[in-house]
Amino acid sequence: MGLHKARIRAFEDILEEDSTIDMVTLRSLAFNGIPDDKGLRSLVWRILLNYLPSDKNSWQSTLTEKRNLYKHYIDEIIVSPGGETDHPLNNSPDSSWSTYFKDNEVLLQIDKDVRRLCPDISFFQNATEFPCHKVVYSGGAKRLHKRVEQSVLKFSTLERRGLGVAKLSDESRRSDSTQSGDYAPLHEGREAHWEVVERMLFLYAKLNPGQGYVQGMNEIIGPIYHTFAIDPNKEYRMNAEPDCFFCFTNLMAEIRDFFIRTLDESDSGINYVMGKLSDCLKKFDPVVWDLLEKQELKPQYYSFRWLTLLLSQEFALPDVERIWDSIFADSDRFEFFIYICCAMILLVRQELLNGDFASNVKLLQNFPPMDVSLILNKAVEISLAA
Amino acid sequence: MAKKTYDLLFKLLLIGDSGVGKTCILFRFSDNHFTTTFISTIGIDFKIKTVELRGKKIKLQIWDTAGQERFHTITTSYYRGAMGIMLVYDITNEKTFDDIVKWLRNIDEHANEDVEKMILGNKCDMEEKRVVSKERGEAIAREHGIRFMETSAKANINIDRAFSELAEAILDKTSGREADADHARIAVERRPSRAPPTRACCT
Ligand SMILES: Nc1nc2c(ncn2[C@@H]2O[C@H](COP(=O)(O)OP(=O)(O)OP(=O)(O)O)[C@@H](O)[C@H]2O)c(=O)[nH]1
Ligand SMILES: [Mg+2]
Repeated sequence: MGLHKARIRAFEDILEEDSTIDMVTLRSLAFNGIPDDKGLRSLVWRILLNYLPSDKNSWQSTLTEKRNLYKHYIDEIIVSPGGETDHPLNNSPDSSWSTYFKDNEVLLQIDKDVRRLCPDISFFQNATEFPCHKVVYSGGAKRLHKRVEQSVLKFSTLERRGLGVAKLSDESRRSDSTQSGDYAPLHEGREAHWEVVERMLFLYAKLNPGQGYVQGMNEIIGPIYHTFAIDPNKEYRMNAEPDCFFCFTNLMAEIRDFFIRTLDESDSGINYVMGKLSDCLKKFDPVVWDLLEKQELKPQYYSFRWLTLLLSQEFALPDVERIWDSIFADSDRFEFFIYICCAMILLVRQELLNGDFASNVKLLQNFPPMDVSLILNKAVEISLAA
Repeated sequence: MAKKTYDLLFKLLLIGDSGVGKTCILFRFSDNHFTTTFISTIGIDFKIKTVELRGKKIKLQIWDTAGQERFHTITTSYYRGAMGIMLVYDITNEKTFDDIVKWLRNIDEHANEDVEKMILGNKCDMEEKRVVSKERGEAIAREHGIRFMETSAKANINIDRAFSELAEAILDKTSGREADADHARIAVERRPSRAPPTRACCT
């Protein structure tokens, strides 16, 4: 039996346990990477992100409950917000109408970002097998991106009238397909994966009003959704959307402070974490740390994005998923993540030492492709010495 | 250490609402290429391009910032060192134009007083979707005494011109940075500053 097969078997053994999953063993297995096969990553991430409890007996009830709850969110927030009588397209200037337009501002931002999600792979532009029926058979009315097209149209009409140009050309009614490249909305009855992601992010923003939507959240939810949506197990694949929504919500509960500007200085905020990375570098490579300091190459030039997005923009999707196996497996969640980031810097130290400010910023902002296991091994080395 | 390959170093900054095309403009300028699907900028990105102006090799160090509010604490810290700032809006999106005023206020608060500014109305290839007329762009630029151009990263309209005019204005007006390893600040000939002309495009 090959090593790879043995690894798969090890995961299966743990997951097939009758009642309670041995979390310590599962974590240590996942830490070394979850095989791409058999939907293992999809299932294990659900557990590591505290969506599925270690007690397997309650899995079915958890799944049923959460998936129903999600359906409820969709009905409540997307299908008939404000009840059936107060249709959001109703032109009367009452309060729910203004909420509707406020929401649309958020939606507009989400819409821009989900259409820019992982452009290097075609996955998000493809149709999902499991579209949301209430949305895709609504003649377009319930499609979120239609709402923003609509609102842009409304504002522009008013604007033009204000200038005495009352004509609203048929042109502006045309869909955005030319502008948004391949991220074109699909026809009645179908929907693209990016539309599903748009819906999840919008629900998240509505349900977490203190936080709303912040750019970059799309890059966090993207890899989770991708993993869930390619699960060979049909039942899991069919429920990729609700399951991903709750996993994302749980993950955000741990990292949301990175996304909140007013918490930048707090000790869960992004500045604090950037500081931790800088301290780690100082400890393990004072020479490089010193050089960057001298060049005034501040950690936020590169590490802001690394940390906020859990490295999702620095590597190709399969590598991101591999890195996240280790991050999610870490029970002290972000300790090891800092070591990974530190390892990245140590691995390009030679280039850094030979580079000037400009070439070094470039290098760190466009981290060279390399075997992720190299990075992860280095990070383990650091963690052992720390 | 890298050898001196340029005479002057100018630091430029691109700001404006999310989605107006800042990253596309910069990519068009630095790589002469356009792709529709850029990931949104998180924090700040950096590019270098060397141009030649009046026989001088000028290294442009250009910072591309994220548009969304959340990133402002991170991005405003770059204003201070900038010698030129491009404010970008999208001619097909009213709000991005209205927000130019907000961005100007940000500059007043965080940038050097003598920073050179330029307003760009981007996406001028999308005439059929235009909601902000060129006249309104020119008007706001005139009101603030700033240069103005309409651009298209997609159709490659006025992109090079915008950067070289901004660079030229900086060259005209203030001190540049000599290409010393230690980035010592050395004053270059100082010319009396004059009201910058507003320029138009797409005509
Ligand atoms: N038609 C047209 N589309 C453009 C042009 N420039 C940019 N776009 C489109 O506008 C979208 C946003 O462009 P970006 O360059 O990513 O916008 P940005 O200002 O950098 O946005 P943030 O990084 O979120 O602040 C992209 O999908 C581009 O395809 C242009 O000149 N013409
Ligand atoms: Mg950008």
